[in-house]
Amino acid sequence: MVASLYAPSEAKKALWVFLEIEGGDFAGVSIELLSKGRDLAGKAGWTVCGLLLGNDVSDLANQAYSYGADEVWLIDHPLLGEFDVCGYSHVTMQAIKVGKPSVFLLGATPNGRDLAGRLAVRLRTGLNADCTDLILDEDRGVLISEVTGFGGGVIALLESAEHCPQMSTVRPGVFVANEPEDNRQGELVNMKVKLKKADIRSTVVERHVGEGVDLTQAPVLICGGRGIDGDFEILRELAALVDGEVGATRPPVDEGHIERERQVGQTGVVCRPKVALNFGISGAFHFIVGIQDAETIIAINTDPEAPIFEHADYCIVENAHKILPELIKVLRRERESIHA
Amino acid sequence: MTVDQRPIEIDDALWEELIEITDGKAAPCFQCGVCTAACPWGLVRGDPLSVRSIMRGAQLGFLEAQEAIWLCTACGQCEIYCPREVPIVDVFQGLRQLLWERRKTPAGLTTVLWSVYWNNNPLSQPPSQRMGWAEGLDLQAYDSSKHEILMYFGCTASYDSRAQSVARAIVQLLRAADVSFGTLGEEEPCCGEAVLRLGHSPYFQDVAQHATDIFEKIKVGKLVTVSPHCFDVFKNHYPHINESFKPIHYTEYIAGLIEGNRLILEGSLSSKITYHDPCLLGRVNESTHYPRVILETVPDARVIEMPQSGPDTLCCGGGGGRMWMETPPGERFSDLRIQEALDVDADIIATACPLCISCLEDSIGSMGVTKLKVHDIAEIAQMALGEVSKNDPVEE
Repeated sequence: MVASLYAPSEAKKALWVFLEIEGGDFAGVSIELLSKGRDLAGKAGWTVCGLLLGNDVSDLANQAYSYGADEVWLIDHPLLGEFDVCGYSHVTMQAIKVGKPSVFLLGATPNGRDLAGRLAVRLRTGLNADCTDLILDEDRGVLISEVTGFGGGVIALLESAEHCPQMSTVRPGVFVANEPEDNRQGELVNMKVKLKKADIRSTVVERHVGEGVDLTQAPVLICGGRGIDGDFEILRELAALVDGEVGATRPPVDEGHIERERQVGQTGVVCRPKVALNFGISGAFHFIVGIQDAETIIAINTDPEAPIFEHADYCIVENAHKILPELIKVLRRERESIHA
Repeated sequence: MTVDQRPIEIDDALWEELIEITDGKAAPCFQCGVCTAACPWGLVRGDPLSVRSIMRGAQLGFLEAQEAIWLCTACGQCEIYCPREVPIVDVFQGLRQLLWERRKTPAGLTTVLWSVYWNNNPLSQPPSQRMGWAEGLDLQAYDSSKHEILMYFGCTASYDSRAQSVARAIVQLLRAADVSFGTLGEEEPCCGEAVLRLGHSPYFQDVAQHATDIFEKIKVGKLVTVSPHCFDVFKNHYPHINESFKPIHYTEYIAGLIEGNRLILEGSLSSKITYHDPCLLGRVNESTHYPRVILETVPDARVIEMPQSGPDTLCCGGGGGRMWMETPPGERFSDLRIQEALDVDADIIATACPLCISCLEDSIGSMGVTKLKVHDIAEIAQMALGEVSKNDPVEE
């Protein structure tokens, strides 16, 4: 195997996080990675660095410190206003060659994945994609990445001890963001890079954000089947209370109670929410495929023999119409007490 | 109806590619249109699937109506009526291959192929769970010198919870008849039928070769399948394995056990049963006799035929890779089939294919039918096992 551009012996004891900007603010996953990075580096006595790219974005550095960055490496350039994978990988390469971090983490977002793949090839290092956990072996300075394989059937622990930086991408929602420490200070490293117009190969002409839903990104999925008799209004109410999305099995979609793009399963969307609540769903295999990777599956059905219960972590034998109003009442009360 | 007056653009390069990919199989077509008339899409759509136009396109080198190319369920109804014996299903699959090469496939189909690659099944299920359904059954690893048959369960019966009950029924029947059989356990390879039907011929060759290597190594002889889909690919689309290799659908094997007096069905089942021939058995492989032998042996059962039966069976809509594509309500052939079963006043609609079960049960649910049940023939035979056999401690 070819050697990486710098050897582990040359690497600094630093953990870098790519700070992705979304509508003028950090993407949630970047804050989650800073928080996780803080926990890992804190124990090992490493430095946490945020890599901040953009045009006129230096104001965001303070926020990065508050979530755990010791340093922010800032590359502020008029050509970096929009994410362009050519420009971004070009300048990130330059920063990494100077900073020589041991570990480099990115969010498994469309842009993060795009950038990570290109960088790993250019740096001649490995990349562990879509990790579900990260562990830092302090003695060896090695990052151990947990990934699931074969449809969740196995968990693999991967390390790339001989190559630097050790790169991993992590999906949004895997780690929890720490509470920000508002007065936390850090050091700003202003990076000067070589970047010319010809390095940017695409221009954003117009930005269209689709109206469509993306069930795959929902942390909480509220699904309804034939058993809820088309009453999706109450599911929407529940979804709004838990910041979730509403999905459905095929029959209610067929009957026109809900749009086709919310159909979950083999011929619909395959989701991986943290929690999937299933109301009045018998659990035909073609639906199960769409939720089986959820972290926690809760099923509510009147039929104790319903196959969905074989896949659920929590099983409630009851009419969905009875549970829903009670659940909504409790959640609403809890929300009010938090805001009170 | 307005007539489309635009000239058809013929692309010479595409023409050559089409001829090569379809192996010139559309050439004998003389455009009589019997295929279009025979195609079951005409039963559910005002505008039928114009099979004839697609054959013409394949002859001349134009590729329009791309949605239509994905509609074919590979039921083969058009082929039995075609006076020129054009292998129409193969032509459709060739056209799909061309669309794969141009990356113009419906959403979701790449996932199916990747799942075969990563998981050894098209259903995105973990390979380690392939034998999960057989827990406690104590199945033996296949040994060609010891076992009469290799029991090949296939992906659907291994993972789909509904079809798993068919697999368990077959195990119980084989044990009741004292058949010595083995399985490949988690090593059982996916047959690749989904890949073939979705039209990715080069990848299908890979999958088939991989399975062939496994079968050669274990010196396979008689191989009995649960699904007619696996049976059909092994029989008609696989490379040569060895002289003794013989794929058999389980209905033929069980019927043989009954005719050889090894399996005796003596439990009563007083029901009116109608049999839905899966296309790949009743039509494509002309196996209409054996399933009926089993049903007619069941004591007290009355077997009634639907108008469309045997080689003229009505497709359930789940073949040709359509299981991985969405069919809008009102266009599902299985709705018509359930109506047909209701019209002959059946209590049970029997079939012998896990995909047919899935489509038929789906229609029963959406149509709100309560008086008709879908059962696999293996489940019916299991119900008809005498009390003694039923108490065999196989499921403990």
